[in-house]
Amino acid sequence: MKKLLLTAVLAASPLFAQISAKGEVPYVAFPVKMGQGFDEVQANCLMCHSFGYIINQGKQSKKFWRGKVDKMIVHFKAPINKQSADIVVEYLFEHYGNGKEE
Amino acid sequence: MERRDFFKKAAVTAGAAALGSSTLEAGTTHQPVDNRKPMNVTFPEKRPLIVYSDRPPLLETPREVFTSALTPNDQFFVRWHMPDIPTFIDPDKFTISVNGLVNKELKISLNDLKTKYEQVDVTAVLQCGGNSRSAFTPTAGGIQWGSGAMGCARWRGVRLKDLLDKAGLKKEAAWIGFNGSEKAAYYETPNFIRELKLEELDDHVILAYEMNGEDLPYLNGYPLRLIIPGSYSDSWVKMLSNITVTNEYKKLFFMDIAYRVPDNETEGETPEKKFPKTKPITKMNVKSIIGYPTNGSTLSHKSEVVVRGVAWDDGHGIKKVLVSLDGGKTWKESLLDSGRLGRYAYRAFRFHFKPTGYGKVKIMAKAINNLGHEQPLSKDIPWNHGGYKYNGIDEVTVEVV
Ligand code: HEC
Repeated sequence: MKKLLLTAVLAASPLFAQISAKGEVPYVAFPVKMGQGFDEVQANCLMCHSFGYIINQGKQSKKFWRGKVDKMIVHFKAPINKQSADIVVEYLFEHYGNGKEE
Repeated sequence: MERRDFFKKAAVTAGAAALGSSTLEAGTTHQPVDNRKPMNVTFPEKRPLIVYSDRPPLLETPREVFTSALTPNDQFFVRWHMPDIPTFIDPDKFTISVNGLVNKELKISLNDLKTKYEQVDVTAVLQCGGNSRSAFTPTAGGIQWGSGAMGCARWRGVRLKDLLDKAGLKKEAAWIGFNGSEKAAYYETPNFIRELKLEELDDHVILAYEMNGEDLPYLNGYPLRLIIPGSYSDSWVKMLSNITVTNEYKKLFFMDIAYRVPDNETEGETPEKKFPKTKPITKMNVKSIIGYPTNGSTLSHKSEVVVRGVAWDDGHGIKKVLVSLDGGKTWKESLLDSGRLGRYAYRAFRFHFKPTGYGKVKIMAKAINNLGHEQPLSKDIPWNHGGYKYNGIDEVTVEVV
């Protein structure tokens, strides 16, 4: 069985030099809805991941956005104070909200 | 002071969410999102793919690629956790270390790895546990993938076991930790480290440096990554730099909280009442995807259409793939490829039909594995809060004109 799954390779493989120098990962300009509070998003939410990572969640409730911001603080240790967290939640709910509190 | 209070409050809210709140929304499951298009931005060594994020890079393979058993390197999906990944690694200087509870610590160069150990090949499916997560409502935590957070490649490398044998495990050795080179932007954020139980590692686990006959692409973990055939890809650590043998398990966010499902028979729960006990996602379930035709395409009346796609499981092997053209009332068997790529690879399937009517036709595909497990309808898949392990019967709707 083992033989069937992992075929031993007989000849030593040639050494590739495919990668000699590396380019950068491109920056992607995700569409941002400008509005009150975005500066807090910029200051607090874009250090560990891009804006695309956030808006991929689609339109969500206020409770959902509150939960995400809390998750960032509790699990990922994001250094965000209460005022900023509240402003970010308001911003996200205003622009990426589904109108529902819960 | 204020900040400390806030941390406490945040912890309480998170706890309350876990115990369930007052919302009475039931969890439902449906076909994953399938309307995203590749973005016209090229990431290193990749063709345009569906882009979720640039930092960390998160790229999805479009459906139409899944018509053959191997996924091309430049269309292979990309998933990193942390924003900071090395942009250059010198293959002449790179080494992989094996340390911890071993008799002899090792530091092996890429060249030694390729010449001083037995070289092995395995073709295996790499699938994110959250593939198809957009099938879950309410939104499950994490990236809202369509069906393309996966691919299948021929991996070449050396057996993990051979390295461990060379280093010699001490008697107390029980866990093996794998470190990749991706780094969090903030020092307190948990790093992405995996620990595997020694007894769960078999001969099929390899450290691969080659993918489909080429160096691993940078975004798929150059120069070395772990390959664990049959398991979801959260354990397939990329840009592997260090292997540490220990006697006990460390607490790790990405193992204790992420990548887990309810530990009950259906692996399901409701959004308002999370199941208290969880288990790691580990092995893949049986699944298939239609690569051609795609949703919304038009087919000519009375033409000879060949539906194509891929099917896989955790290595028990695919027995058959059935196709339905009448909403699941009747099913016909498709033709499978030879299966010579091995039981961890995609099986490509094809199904010939001649559309005799006009208008919309729904094409459905259902895989059955050698254990007799078959894919459920998407609506019959129990919801789970992490949005893991979706394997609903795939559907595409086309227009016959
Ligand atoms: C200290 C680092 C850090 C900061 C700062 C941070 N995040 Fe995150 N975020 C993460 C990590 C880590 C993940 C998950 C990565 C993974 O699973 O691979 C994540 C994931 C997410 C997700 C995806 C959904 C999920 O459940 O995983 C959303 C949405 C998100 N963050 C929103 C935010 C918002 C809004 C802010 C600002 C208030 C923020 N993040 C700030 C680290 C951070």
